[in-house]
Amino acid sequence: MEKRLHITPIGDEGMYILDTASWRVYRPVMDKEKCIDCGMCLAFCPVNAVAAVGKKFEITYDYCKGCGICANECKKGAIAMVLEGGSR
Amino acid sequence: MSYIDILKEAEDQVTPGMSACQGCGGELILRTVLKIAGKNTIVGIPPGCMAGAGVVGWNYANGLKIPVHIPLLDNTASFLTGLSQMYERKGRGEVNMIGIAGDGATADCGFQSLSAAAERNEKMLYVCYDNEGYMNTGYQRSSTTTKGSRTSTTPIGAVINGKQQQQKYLPLIMSMHGLTYCATASPSHMADFVKKVEKGLAASKKGFAYLHVFSPCPTGWAYSPEKAIEVARNAVRSNMFPLWEMDEDGYHMNVRNKTPISVKEFIQGIGKFKNLTEEDINSIQQIADQRFHILMRLAEQGME
Repeated sequence: MEKRLHITPIGDEGMYILDTASWRVYRPVMDKEKCIDCGMCLAFCPVNAVAAVGKKFEITYDYCKGCGICANECKKGAIAMVLEGGSR
Repeated sequence: MSYIDILKEAEDQVTPGMSACQGCGGELILRTVLKIAGKNTIVGIPPGCMAGAGVVGWNYANGLKIPVHIPLLDNTASFLTGLSQMYERKGRGEVNMIGIAGDGATADCGFQSLSAAAERNEKMLYVCYDNEGYMNTGYQRSSTTTKGSRTSTTPIGAVINGKQQQQKYLPLIMSMHGLTYCATASPSHMADFVKKVEKGLAASKKGFAYLHVFSPCPTGWAYSPEKAIEVARNAVRSNMFPLWEMDEDGYHMNVRNKTPISVKEFIQGIGKFKNLTEEDINSIQQIADQRFHILMRLAEQGME
């Protein structure tokens, strides 16, 4: 049997997952120098694309839709929205 | 433990990729509520944005990592009543029963079953994400839509200029049902929101808990997605959406604005309000002030 990524209580096919990263036009990029690890980006990210690594926070790009809430809400202005280039 | 730590350590119970719009307030609310509720939960989500975005599953695939069901638009609360009573009878009262519904399934279509369940004080937590309209089908007006809003059923034209009626203020109506816990929350005030979900879950073991959450909608309201939290914050700051709660000790005002901004500042940059006349703005301001005054009086009564 194929190993599943997520265990679900019902449903043969496992999890309904959409590749929402393909929607992204602007990519949030965090400036680690300016970041004060307050975690506001994690609290406000609708997609849960901000991961907590120890005491630090990191943006993951697997499902980020590029809405820009994190960049708008960051009090230190540590997140910039950069236009996606190339493939993806 | 601060709310950031709670959110950081909790496991996300929702599928990582769901088709809610960019900057969706409803998605943020759904994820936050289920993060706090945890694995031991059964969820009922009626037709609406969250169901449409694939949270109830698609083609035999599941949209949540926990059991989720899709009741009809008008029977979420009665559906959960059955579940809640059966689990109680089986001796499994510790399971969280959560309904997550939009304002259409709460204030309009679902109101009779919701009102009845609240009056019977059934053990569940009912979360309403209020995006002020039927967004899933292209923004038709609902009873919680603010006056003057441009919707697909109240367009701007020669005959009418947006919605003609004032908004129905549901949380206060719900609080009069004799339920266990009733509160309003906004995703912009996350600490307050997390606290209220925790309180609501605790109260749902004793009786009915109702949470009315402001959910800004970039697609329907016509503003750019990154402004979502800003719009929600301005709604609280302008007293358009005051944050209060009602528990066994009575009413409490959670956020007191020392210098509230005007409705005019709140509607700035929101596309659905751009047609508003001075007269419309004044009447919305008047209703907001009136509502806030009533709530303040209720909260002060509890202090004595």
